[in-house]
Amino acid sequence: MIARLAALLLAVIAVHAAAQTPPLVAPPVAFNRATIRRGAQWFAQYCLSCHSVKWIRYDRLTRDLGFSKDAVRQQLMFPSGAHLARGMVPTLSAKDATAWFGVAPPDLTLEARLRGGAWIYTYLRSFYFDPTRPSGWNNRLFPNAAMPNVLAPISGVENAKGRLIQRGRLTPKQADQVIGAITVWLEYTSDPSKLERERLGPYALGFVVLFAVVAYLMKRAYWRDVS
Amino acid sequence: MGRLTAWVDRRFPFSVLVRTSMTEYYAPKNFNFWYFFGSLALLVFATQIISGILLLAHYQPSAKAAFNSVQSIMYDVKWGWLVRYIHTTGASLFFVVIYLHMLRGYLYGSFKRPRELLWLIGVALYVCLMGEAYFGYVLPFGNMSYWGGQVITSIIAAIPYVGGWLASVLRGSFGVGTPTLTRFVAFHAVLLPALLAVLILTHLLALHEVGSNNPDGVEIREHLDARGQPVDGIPFHPYYTVKDMFGVGVFLVVFCAIVFYAPTFHGLFIETYNFSPANPLKTPPEITPAWYLAPYYAMLRAVPNKAVGIGILFAAIIAPFLLPWLDHNPVKSSRYRPVYRWMVIVFVLTLVALGWIGMQPAIPALLPPARILLALYFLFFLSLPIVSRLEPTRPVPERISAS
Amino acid sequence: MDRLSSRDAMTAQPLLPANAGRRRFLTLATALLGAVGTAYVIVPLVESLEPDASVKAAAATTVALSPIEPGMQVTVPWQSKPLIVVHRTPEMLATLQAVETLLRDPNCEVPQQPPECKNRFRSLKPQWLVMVRVCTHLCCTPLYEPRKGSVGPRWLGGFHCPCHGSLYDLSGRVFKGVPAPRNMAIPLYHFSEDEKQVAVTAMYPESKLC
Repeated sequence: MIARLAALLLAVIAVHAAAQTPPLVAPPVAFNRATIRRGAQWFAQYCLSCHSVKWIRYDRLTRDLGFSKDAVRQQLMFPSGAHLARGMVPTLSAKDATAWFGVAPPDLTLEARLRGGAWIYTYLRSFYFDPTRPSGWNNRLFPNAAMPNVLAPISGVENAKGRLIQRGRLTPKQADQVIGAITVWLEYTSDPSKLERERLGPYALGFVVLFAVVAYLMKRAYWRDVS
Repeated sequence: MGRLTAWVDRRFPFSVLVRTSMTEYYAPKNFNFWYFFGSLALLVFATQIISGILLLAHYQPSAKAAFNSVQSIMYDVKWGWLVRYIHTTGASLFFVVIYLHMLRGYLYGSFKRPRELLWLIGVALYVCLMGEAYFGYVLPFGNMSYWGGQVITSIIAAIPYVGGWLASVLRGSFGVGTPTLTRFVAFHAVLLPALLAVLILTHLLALHEVGSNNPDGVEIREHLDARGQPVDGIPFHPYYTVKDMFGVGVFLVVFCAIVFYAPTFHGLFIETYNFSPANPLKTPPEITPAWYLAPYYAMLRAVPNKAVGIGILFAAIIAPFLLPWLDHNPVKSSRYRPVYRWMVIVFVLTLVALGWIGMQPAIPALLPPARILLALYFLFFLSLPIVSRLEPTRPVPERISAS
Repeated sequence: MDRLSSRDAMTAQPLLPANAGRRRFLTLATALLGAVGTAYVIVPLVESLEPDASVKAAAATTVALSPIEPGMQVTVPWQSKPLIVVHRTPEMLATLQAVETLLRDPNCEVPQQPPECKNRFRSLKPQWLVMVRVCTHLCCTPLYEPRKGSVGPRWLGGFHCPCHGSLYDLSGRVFKGVPAPRNMAIPLYHFSEDEKQVAVTAMYPESKLC
């Protein structure tokens, strides 16, 4: 009797622990070319086999991020032999994906715009082992997500209570850097113009400020004779 | 140059137009901050036309292709992001500028005799601008576009007798889809811009006929010098052209700061849920209107009856048209009407608060404040005929006071 | 100060304001900055009308060679133009020399092909003709007429334009005495390593269509 009650209590606690959505945490990395490049490489390795970022054409990565064409071909292109001028789309067809995961993995180009970087970062860090799920995985932020924890080999495996039950290839801190880089990469894909905007912004602003100042001086010169 | 002007002048009243509308159009010399926004509205209108034409060069009005063609502008078109951000920023700043321009009218009584028609044309311009913004809002066909399109056409459908037909004409289909987009492009890119252009021209003609009001609300044309020109007037050109240039400069600083550093303006200028394609089966979790229409949306939600709510909505839009005939006080400027001045301040705060509520999720806790604010909005218009007759006024100077 | 004279200072041309030089300088500076700024905005705005990345991505095409049997051809749309790939037999290749005295430009002196295709076959490999199938006269699509005697009694095979009767040999070289002025254009292309497909990447810049 007592054992059964205890089990029930534990189950309730477990459900509560699982039901509690974790607070959103911002990725601990800076938004810059170096981080985006690292994120692109991790993304190609762990995410691109299922998720497309179809609006990002491979060749824009050479212009935006400073990758060489060969680096794009060797490190990012998946499947190898895709076209440089075409978008980053995996070979996995939506039909196969639906058969495997229940839903087709969404295109992630605009995901960071839709949900925000903090959501993506928190989501990727909220996976836990759940034997009741068909994939064996569940997610604290997005309960019953169809996606398995593909990053488990590097970040390790957590149980429902958040305890590490199997260590990954990297330390938790290193793994957070990787997940942060992937998040920043997705922030870049959601608005690649951000890099260019930040480059051109100071010139544009400086110019219009100068214009305003000169126009103000001109105004003052004319308005001297208005009493 | 002189010969060319002479050649043109024999065939077209070029010099006459320049004289009557610029170099010899006398404007009061005491224009302040609030008088920048007329010319800035003109600047934004031109910006929207140019950036809009360039967007139209890539946009594809169909339920299948619209969202993708907009993404293609963002990702594939050279400088496409710049063109689109100019257009989205311009759309929101158009309303900022127009709201400040209208507030100026409230503050200094610019709707009063002899400027009633000028005011009516102006409010008509504002209503057209709301339509223009709405049609443009639907075009990218993200999920907010889709549901915004649904909600507004449903409001139209609730108009008694003609509503159903009107909504079907707007949608061109059972729901919001390709036929809706094709006609919305026609309205957004041809009909309403043309209408706006004609109204702007009429607005300017009416302005130049009656002359500009000013912060003191006194008529400068009542005191003429020996040459028959207003003593307290200065030629629009060069004095106000150079002053407006400075205004343009400051405006462009704000404009560039937004385009380059905050183009979505935290979801206010480009809505977050519009980054997912239209989905007829899934309403976004928080469906909120564009900020510039949010006060009306809050009013609509505050009323627990569909027909009455829509009636209130139309009444709220029509009320400003009646302003010239609601205000009976011969004193124009709020500078000399302390009670009226406070009414305008409360009115503006009411609108800001209603706008804030309109952008919050529809939760019951916000209903009582929304209803109070709704009452306050109409109280401004309803109390004006009485207040304007009874309020104490300060002595109005005979002429513009030296600043 | 009486108002009249101040009015004169503002409007009447002959009475120059005290700071006329400063005014002129600042007006000029504002105008100049305005012009430069406008130019800097106009350039990207106009450039937004250039063909976008999706168009550029579709600029290249690949054609599979294995389904094209000897003597047969495949025509595919490429950059909004018909592109023909002909698998020429040895007999067909033999006709090329026979007609050379009748051709306007038998040695392909007019740069209607990349230098590596400036030969009798107008191709990288003799059996494969890869050509933009557009008549150099007025842009019609010539008919592929490989059979001997099909166009005229002495016809050895080639292209026949249905619009104005221009004739080309099996390398797309134009005959004398027809309206078309030049040989048909050969684009830039290369074969895949296994030679199972040909990738057509761009028009040869110096070539002209029609």
